Amino acid sequence: MEEPEWHSPASIEEALALKVRLGDAATVVAGGTFTGILVANDLIRPHAFIHLARLPGLDRIEIGDELHLGAMVTHRRVERSSEIRESPWACVAECFASVASPRIRNQATVGGVLCDADYASDPPTLLVALGARVRLRSPSGERDVLVADFIKDHYETALGADELLIDVVVPRPPRHVTYFKFKSRSSEDRPCVGVAVAAEVDDSGRCRSLRVVVGAVSGRPQEFPQACAVALGDRITIDVATEIGHQYSELASTLSDVRGSAAYRKRLIAVLVRRSLETLAA
Amino acid sequence: MTLDPRITGRFEYGQDQQVEGMLHARILRSPHAHAKVLSINTSEVPQQVVTLTRDDVADLEPLYGPMVKDQPIVARERVLHVGDAVAAVAAGTPREAEEAIALVEVEYEEMPGVFDPVDATGDAAPLLHDGIEIPAELRPDGRNICHRFRLQSGLGQQGFELADVVVEDTFAVAAAAHVAMEPHATLAYWEEGRLHVITGTQTPFNVRRDLAALFRLSEEMIRIVVAPMGGSFGAKTFMRLEPITAALARKARRPVRAVLTRGEEFLTVNRHPARFHIRLGATRDGTFVAKSVDAWWDTGAYADCGPSVCTKGGYAAIGPYRIPNVTVDSRCVYTNLPPAGAFRGYAATQGVWASERVTDLMAGRLEIDPLELRLRNLLRDGDRFATGEVMRDVRFAACLRAAAEAVDWSEGRKNKGLAVMLKGMQTPSRTGVALEIDAGGHILLRSATTDMGQRPDIAQRNLAAEALGLSPDLIAVGPNDTDLVPFDTRTTSSRSTFMMSNAIREAANDLRRKIAERFEVAPEDLVLSDEGAGVAGSPDLSRPLADLAGLRGDGTFVTPGGLDPDTGQGIASSHWHQAAASAEVRVDPETGVTSITRLHTAVYAGNVVDRPGAELQNEGSTIFGIGTALFEGIVFEGGQVTNGNLSDYEIPSILDVPDFTYDLLEGGEHSHGLGEMAVPVVPAAIGNAVAAAGHPVRNLPMSAEAVLGSSTSQGLRRPSSPQGGWEGD
Repeated sequence: MEEPEWHSPASIEEALALKVRLGDAATVVAGGTFTGILVANDLIRPHAFIHLARLPGLDRIEIGDELHLGAMVTHRRVERSSEIRESPWACVAECFASVASPRIRNQATVGGVLCDADYASDPPTLLVALGARVRLRSPSGERDVLVADFIKDHYETALGADELLIDVVVPRPPRHVTYFKFKSRSSEDRPCVGVAVAAEVDDSGRCRSLRVVVGAVSGRPQEFPQACAVALGDRITIDVATEIGHQYSELASTLSDVRGSAAYRKRLIAVLVRRSLETLAA
Repeated sequence: MTLDPRITGRFEYGQDQQVEGMLHARILRSPHAHAKVLSINTSEVPQQVVTLTRDDVADLEPLYGPMVKDQPIVARERVLHVGDAVAAVAAGTPREAEEAIALVEVEYEEMPGVFDPVDATGDAAPLLHDGIEIPAELRPDGRNICHRFRLQSGLGQQGFELADVVVEDTFAVAAAAHVAMEPHATLAYWEEGRLHVITGTQTPFNVRRDLAALFRLSEEMIRIVVAPMGGSFGAKTFMRLEPITAALARKARRPVRAVLTRGEEFLTVNRHPARFHIRLGATRDGTFVAKSVDAWWDTGAYADCGPSVCTKGGYAAIGPYRIPNVTVDSRCVYTNLPPAGAFRGYAATQGVWASERVTDLMAGRLEIDPLELRLRNLLRDGDRFATGEVMRDVRFAACLRAAAEAVDWSEGRKNKGLAVMLKGMQTPSRTGVALEIDAGGHILLRSATTDMGQRPDIAQRNLAAEALGLSPDLIAVGPNDTDLVPFDTRTTSSRSTFMMSNAIREAANDLRRKIAERFEVAPEDLVLSDEGAGVAGSPDLSRPLADLAGLRGDGTFVTPGGLDPDTGQGIASSHWHQAAASAEVRVDPETGVTSITRLHTAVYAGNVVDRPGAELQNEGSTIFGIGTALFEGIVFEGGQVTNGNLSDYEIPSILDVPDFTYDLLEGGEHSHGLGEMAVPVVPAAIGNAVAAAGHPVRNLPMSAEAVLGSSTSQGLRRPSSPQGGWEGD
């Protein structure tokens, strides 16, 4: 067995060239929290690693009309950024703060959690509800893809073989946003169910838009706009919250793992979606 | 300022030990739960790498084990569990070893496996061990059963005829992982035919004895040096890596070190999964009259200390109660799971869980306050336990009252639970210790008590200082090396503080006698102080301790006892660990999530020797109990561990630990161990609280999903069978 090659490109161009040249033989490493587990458990044996830590500019946080998070921004920086915390994007900081433990958050990156496409994650669920996009760069240019389209299934994304995720762009959130992480075991656990709600509510309390996304229960975050339609145009009542919860529970596909069975997750979705919407009703 | 080397990182644990020319070992493990090993081909392994297969150990004793010789160094004809060692290599670097192991080719023929202790006793189950010798003191009565502990007192089952009310239920406790921060680590080398092993172990003298038998050497030809452990919790008892590392070193003619990965830890030794069916009979006024305990302990592919676990867990499930008619039938069963062995809370965790849930079922049925029901039936001084032994220094009621008071039991029982237990200590048992004056005027304490993070040196120094009337600063603890320390049974079952305190007192008396002889006075005329030794009334005769260098006092303490395996009568424990816990919970009725709002443990501590150490140990064992209660459990599928990493198998983080309180109840004449007293009572108290909140859980861990799924009626119907059913009983 050869020693794997370790590449630390100094520019995005160099990184892209490496990725194109090495193809499937190379694994891109950002913070390494996911790749580390895969390698330690012998699930992957790459011939080469492309480490993004030295790339300039990927660690930027910028707030304008939209929030830009560079791919190499760590969870901890999102969590601790006072700029984000005091902005309309505070919900993003809170969501990243709910991941694992400080040790992990100091290492795990914004780009990593999306490219891993591990179902048992928190940020993708909220980012889908906020209509966030990922910016992908290839030697031939850039394109934006909605996070909702980017994560396709377990560990499967729309990232092209010649592309790198360089930025996550989050539009200005509506007035009411929550992310609820339900943990069935330790406080440091991954989510058993994650529920993100993004709602625009006008001054009279009427719901103008509503997105509800459930995550960590199957290969990708799930959203059912038809189930949310009942909430539009009026105040959200407990009955409406309950009804949407039931709809989501019925429509969502769920899996079984150490954190809970598929049936338990179905039951939880009804409860957690209702509870998340109840805060809107209150 | 001198910083603790554990904090600066300079402390040398087992995995940090090294000697010149050392090779690194890796073990090739079976991917199958049960298979024939048709062939092993090592021809692709580079020449400079040493390989070890069954052919290399053919001249040794074929099998080892602390209670039953059933485990080979590497697989012979069959592998019996996923992770069973098939071959091993030693190479210049860990990476080289890792690469070499991938080049060993093994051809298997898979065989059906059995993964449930009740199924394993059925006629259709594959037989795990054929032709092994079961020692005469064990009772291998039944298919795949390596030991059956039975107890009968009074009228036995007929006692239920005296009962107005009988409650019964079935319970299960999952396997758990020890998750010591430091994995198993062993270094072995041979010098002039003598085997030297530096290893993280709680049981140096057992390892010496068992290695001697395995390598067909006298015990003097084996030297065990105990490396301090970064946690053990029972995992580093008896032989683990020592045989394979020593065999590799023998072939390599070089020192070899083996260190397990976290994943291998889950395949090496775990806590016994157990199943219980318990019946309890009482008269209408709440007096217990009869109890029966049926238990199945899944010891995995090798017995290890399973026979002792099934014995101790069997009587622990009786509980600390006066019950005139008791039967216990506790089976230690082989299955194709990784071996189970000692685990903090040793067998009591499982037994107390089942027993104390049943106590609450009886309280519910009789509509008697669970505290009142327990107090009415608890053993008192002078009572006979079901084993026939007379109970002394009994503190069950004091522990239980302290626990109840801490959660304001008298002000309401809503969402609250109690538990009380007895837990035996290793009996019979023997401890030797020596106190030696060195040239620097210090007292060198020679003891085999092993250090797994529980600060034994502080406790032993305090004990010796008190016994000699000297300052602890003058006491130094010598190296833990079987060449240098007197025999000690082992550092397990919370026995060391009790046993050592008695042995150290003996050794101190012996040393005083020796010093007095030097002065030619009676020991009572000897005056010993930090300044030196002298004679009462003759200050001019005083001499500094250094002048007495070489004088040595020896002390031995022995506890007799043991139980008859057929009747369960005899001496189970020379003294008893006694503890109680109380819990108050909030259960989310829609998600099943249990929040602990109050938690208290009350443990009988005797004379506390090291107050901060005692407190830390009790806090640690409380947190252990929380993990076992709420979410720790190894998941097996077809014999494979499916959560064998610390992401999928979770232990409590500090955020999972509620503000809990505790009492260390002092008193009596002895010092006690208390490193594991809270572990068994905490889950049972939480379980009873969860049941009081309307969720009568039966199994550990009480996952949120299980709590939600448990019936909300407090009925006494026979529950739906756990997987595997109860056809066997």
